[in-house]
Amino acid sequence: MIIIFQILFASFVLYVFGSIAKKRKQGMLGVKGLLFWVLFWLGALTVVLWPEALSRLADVFGIGRGVDLAIYISMAVVFFLLFRLHIKIECVGRDITTLTREIALLKHNEK
Amino acid sequence: MFIAIVPAYNEEKRIVTVIEKLEGHVDRIVVIDDSSFDNTVSLARNAGAIVLEHTVNRGQGAALETGHAYARSVGAEFVLHFDGDDQMDPHDIAPALAYMKEKKAQALIGSRRLDEHSTVPWFKRHILLPIGKMINHFFVRERLSDVHNGFRILHKSVLDSIVIEQDKMAHATEIPAKIIAKKIAFVEFPVTFTYHEYGQGTLSGFTIIKDLLFSKFISK
Repeated sequence: MIIIFQILFASFVLYVFGSIAKKRKQGMLGVKGLLFWVLFWLGALTVVLWPEALSRLADVFGIGRGVDLAIYISMAVVFFLLFRLHIKIECVGRDITTLTREIALLKHNEK
Repeated sequence: MFIAIVPAYNEEKRIVTVIEKLEGHVDRIVVIDDSSFDNTVSLARNAGAIVLEHTVNRGQGAALETGHAYARSVGAEFVLHFDGDDQMDPHDIAPALAYMKEKKAQALIGSRRLDEHSTVPWFKRHILLPIGKMINHFFVRERLSDVHNGFRILHKSVLDSIVIEQDKMAHATEIPAKIIAKKIAFVEFPVTFTYHEYGQGTLSGFTIIKDLLFSKFISK
């Protein structure tokens, strides 16, 4: 059963690498983003293919089970991504404000 | 030229009264409509104000900065921030401007706490405002007698040196913070508020803190 999951997950990671490469080619992903996502998915693949590696890493950090370490890391990553997403939304909001202001002034000057 | 900047969002019940009250106190009244879906725009225009229309709702801070952009373009000497909900008293304007000139200040910030004229709800006066003052002090780095007072008069030199980047209500912390950070001479002046509605509640306080914190991570 675990082998089927490992094959499916490895195939999914390959698909993800493909889309990362595509996004990079299209100029939608910077070097930092590329490194982050490649390392993230490589880490996830390592953990799925060699689950005992995670247990050993958990031991190093003094955490009982490997799965606990995976949950902690996942939560940290999710919070970090949420934070980045929020910042991005704020930046887009500011751009919308600038455009809204320009349009308001232009419309007024046209009258 | 002395321009009143009046941000308004769905203020059809009060905007005409505000404009009528402001007449004679300033040279020009500019209403920044923040994409209202009521009749604020037509009513304000018919009442004689210049109306700039935001096609998308962006918040009070964004509306004030649009007013600043307009004031810069017409070379206004002073701008007044005046709310569109008829809670401020236009009779404060002339003495405030005179006091500002007397003290050779470039900015004036209104205060509800320097006298007892304002009718501030009990919970707001004794609970929210003191907490707000403490939090404000963290961001502004100087003790002000009031917090988030929307009555301000700014000289054109201030408009040239600060840009409001907080689109929503956090601009009320951002403006004094920037005035102080840029060492602009400012004074506080007692102004009268008459509350028709409660104003900002506890939840919007958390939003303001969140906006101020997140803005630290946004590159200019």
